[in-house]
Amino acid sequence: MAAPNEQFVDWEIIHVPGNAPLSLEDSTVNVVAAKIEPKQASAIIRQLNQICPLENLRHLKRVKKDKSQGKVELSIILCLSSENGSSIEAFPSGVRQLIDNYNLSSFYAKVSKCQATSKEEWEEQCKLWPTSFHPPTNPEGVSGLDAEEIKSIYSSMKSVMQLVQSNIQHKVVNAAVIVNPFNGQIISKAQDDILPLLKSSEENISWNSKNEEMKYKWSENKGVACVNPWGWLERSCQDHDAMPCDSGLAWHPLKHAAMVAIENAAVRDRRLFPNSSPCNNDCYSELYSDIGPAKRLKTEEAQLTNQNSEIGNGLTSEATRPYLCTGFDIYLAWEPCPMCAMALVHQRIKRIFYAFPNPRVGALGTVHRLQGEKSLNHHYSVFRIHIPDKALSEIFLEKLKD
Amino acid sequence: MGRVSESVSEDINRFMELAIDQAKCAFDNLEVPIGCVIVEDDEVIATGYNKTTETRNATRHAEMEAIDTLLEKWQKCGLNKTQVAQKFSNCILYVTCEPCIMCAMALSILGIREVFFGCANDKFGGCGSILSLHIGEADNKCSDGASQSKGFKCTGGYMADEAISLLKSFYEQGNPNAPKPHRPVRVQAPQK
Repeated sequence: MAAPNEQFVDWEIIHVPGNAPLSLEDSTVNVVAAKIEPKQASAIIRQLNQICPLENLRHLKRVKKDKSQGKVELSIILCLSSENGSSIEAFPSGVRQLIDNYNLSSFYAKVSKCQATSKEEWEEQCKLWPTSFHPPTNPEGVSGLDAEEIKSIYSSMKSVMQLVQSNIQHKVVNAAVIVNPFNGQIISKAQDDILPLLKSSEENISWNSKNEEMKYKWSENKGVACVNPWGWLERSCQDHDAMPCDSGLAWHPLKHAAMVAIENAAVRDRRLFPNSSPCNNDCYSELYSDIGPAKRLKTEEAQLTNQNSEIGNGLTSEATRPYLCTGFDIYLAWEPCPMCAMALVHQRIKRIFYAFPNPRVGALGTVHRLQGEKSLNHHYSVFRIHIPDKALSEIFLEKLKD
Repeated sequence: MGRVSESVSEDINRFMELAIDQAKCAFDNLEVPIGCVIVEDDEVIATGYNKTTETRNATRHAEMEAIDTLLEKWQKCGLNKTQVAQKFSNCILYVTCEPCIMCAMALSILGIREVFFGCANDKFGGCGSILSLHIGEADNKCSDGASQSKGFKCTGGYMADEAISLLKSFYEQGNPNAPKPHRPVRVQAPQK
């Protein structure tokens, strides 16, 4: 995809689907095909559609057209290949007869098993055997985003990357920003908050002294809570123990960036709408009542439309108050762990964007794939943003200059 | 479910009853009725119930409430991280519903010793229903030196009927906090 802006050259957005990509083995099926003479094509197609219609493979085109040395060559799918059928006896009798009548020489071919869900997948499929493709009316992948939106997504991602530098010994930490995509308003910002922060003076000295030689190493991510969730015990910073700050806790092993961002969003909601009756948390209702997910989706959509139309007036009335984080996006530097990913389900986040995969405990595509767990009562879309190395170091240097 | 002798099972039910009491507190506060207690050396050291409605933070599950109580309490006593981790490794959680994926991961991060729960959570349970986060990773230390994952023992089915009937009556009364009912709420027979 072309970069929508020269500021974001070589940035890339990749949809992380709910189902794991299938292997070639799982996504294809073997068929028996044969080359045919173009002038016989229509007769053969007509007969085959009667003898052996491709019931469950309607996305497949029956005939494949190749050009070799300026000549058009047609191949046709005769039938599905049977499990053990390498011999002609295994073919349906009508097909056998057709092969005899037209003196065809059959061969085996691999074709895609299912209809493509994206243009990219369709293009891949057609390399095997042509298929038809009907773009989904409501595309959930990248194809549903226009250039303007992608640009604002990249900008938000950039603002998260500016937050990943911790004040503690130059370690990188995870950062999160929750955004209302309708007006770009930032709902909350957060960093991992597992360890106490150093005093700002210490922080400044160390920053300046190391400015020059410091190179950002994204692979040195042991300080990122979601990447190394059990590391809170070992991560000691001159053991600032037993120094509870005013807010209560000096350190907290569960204060991953996403959890803090959710808490901040909740605080904001209570501040903006102090008197409203609290909204229903219906997270367990599907277990015990029959309000179906479709019904719920409608309500959420209605809520969104409502929200969208009133934002122009700058109203923060009850009517514009979303239920939890319904309709909001979250940007994260690292793919969240299962705790954070599930928290984002609970809080009804609409879309998640992250830059770096989390190889050990990533819950959105790497190890688990919560966005594809059918049983959950809410599903968000997940995207990975690939940021080129050059852009990453620029973001980092900009931050140092501040 | 693991086999336990009758007296041990009695003990478990004794603490589970306290967890149910917590769930009832949630119910009285118009919250989804799930409650828990955390026990150290046969003594309840923290309680918690769902506060997602009051806080407008859907992550404030019973387990999270109880965990935060302990973290605050222990830090106020001046315990350091090592000591706190030591404490958690000696704690047992009794909760009326199987911990969700979020809470299961949190319990693993803290290194809790054991969990007993009431009813299973078929929609988003993290201790066997959807994911099995209570089972630690097979390899002890991952190659790049990150810290070891922690599993915990986890068994369910204690006083499950009580837990389920609380949840049922909560949704039966048609959650009073719901903005506008879409249609009358009918309650299905429990799934098991």
